[in-house]
Amino acid sequence: MPTGLDQLQHIVVLMMENRSFDHMLGSLPGIGGIDDAGAYINPDTNGNPVKPQPLAEFQAQLQPDPDHHFPAVDLQIFGGDTSPNRQPNMQGFVKSFFHQQGDVGHSQKIMYYFPKEKLPVLTTLAQQFAVFNRWFASIPGPTICNRAFAHYGTSFGRVDLNPIYPPEHIQSIYSRLINANPKHTAKVYYYDTTSSTMEVANLLQNQPELFGTYGQFLDDCKKGNLPEYSFIEPNYSDHETDSGEEVANDQHPDHHVQAGEVFIATIYQAIKDNPQLWQNTALLITYDEHGGIFDHVPPPSCVKDIFTADGNATGTGVPFQFDRLGVRVPSVLVSPWIPKGTIVSRVFDHASIPATITKFFLGDASPRSPREINADVFIEPKSANVDPARNVLSLTAMRTDCPDFDV
Amino acid sequence: MALITVPKPPKSAYNPDRPATSLLKAHVEHMREAESKLPIKYRSDFYAKAVRTEGEAAEYIRDVTEAIQEAHADAEKRRRTRRKKRRFEIAAAAEERPKNTSGARKRATSAVKKTRATKKRKK
Repeated sequence: MPTGLDQLQHIVVLMMENRSFDHMLGSLPGIGGIDDAGAYINPDTNGNPVKPQPLAEFQAQLQPDPDHHFPAVDLQIFGGDTSPNRQPNMQGFVKSFFHQQGDVGHSQKIMYYFPKEKLPVLTTLAQQFAVFNRWFASIPGPTICNRAFAHYGTSFGRVDLNPIYPPEHIQSIYSRLINANPKHTAKVYYYDTTSSTMEVANLLQNQPELFGTYGQFLDDCKKGNLPEYSFIEPNYSDHETDSGEEVANDQHPDHHVQAGEVFIATIYQAIKDNPQLWQNTALLITYDEHGGIFDHVPPPSCVKDIFTADGNATGTGVPFQFDRLGVRVPSVLVSPWIPKGTIVSRVFDHASIPATITKFFLGDASPRSPREINADVFIEPKSANVDPARNVLSLTAMRTDCPDFDV
Repeated sequence: MALITVPKPPKSAYNPDRPATSLLKAHVEHMREAESKLPIKYRSDFYAKAVRTEGEAAEYIRDVTEAIQEAHADAEKRRRTRRKKRRFEIAAAAEERPKNTSGARKRATSAVKKTRATKKRKK
């Protein structure tokens, strides 16, 4: 078995908020970003072409919050085509943003992306480790239902922000792990009680033992007490605490993007600063959905889920069978066993998270949603017959040239 | 590899008076539902529907998260007390049993069972 996989004991997933792949990583050459987009443009409402431009700002540019509810994302992906045999063309981002302020000049800002120098943390990690350039949101819709896919492998038919009440027969990835025999360990680390946890309020009510704070995560890294699986949630709001002002670090527009960069760097560094943990941990950094911001790669269709959202629920009048992925998002896998500059071009979505964790730690679990069962895994299960073409943690010796961040 | 500097956001990035996004409002709604399932003594007098800003949303989310934690901590305390009481009853029953007789263990166990049965009937 490859040494990196053999060593791997902990998987950490950090899920940020609402930024597309092209917007955050599109400036990097040769990874399927802007240089791959060719003559990609979006028409504005006057019919003029709008090109992607490296003019993204950290804050105060995407106001109001770009619409990313189901009908808006449908417009963004299909450009307003509602015919039965339509194909995704990624032509509706500017039109969609125009609807919110009615200002043509302002609507063009949805096509802005960050030059790599402005995001030293995310772009460094993407170049130093593995970048997934076909990782899509699970649903062409907003946060809560997309995050549900990361926890349950399905959103139970939801395409909106309403509370989710999972039926008992599909367990969260955390319940699967702690109820397994032998028992495994898992934790959701939310930033603090004021930011709390998104989507899994149900779990918080019923299984509070599964939760910890970001401060505890840092402490667990230091003391080597990290569970086998950790899911980290960022700070979703600007708020005051006893120790002072906390700036939201989820990168959701209009939160300051640099606060998220500091957050990502601190998590990376907390793992790396414990040499034992560093050699047996893999960190996945991903984003729940694109937040209404442009990306040039059409999301592919996928296997249907067992649930359907009816035409009223989607807001488009047309039912959705969960048979198409959402817009592409940034995803980066970090481990000292990954060769520098790895690019993974297989298709993933957030259902790949419980799929990977289940296969890696448990082998199997039942029942799981069709979406999860069919989702690809980003870390191969430990086995004597690992396919080298699929294994990302492929180095025979651990790297000693990994970057450090000054945080 | 050289140490990479990570620029920090400016002080002006902080704005708890920013209007709450639809996501934060949904988060408040989730917490409101969670709060409605708590025993009344843990519920706040916060009117969740009136939340407008991030700061207000954050305050409410904190109150409910802490209330959920407190409710669980109290339940655990009660559980521990019940366990302790049960252990005490078992010990007391064991002390009552006649010493150095061959049927002592059997009779003590029956005594505990009897105590439990009486308790159940009282309920």
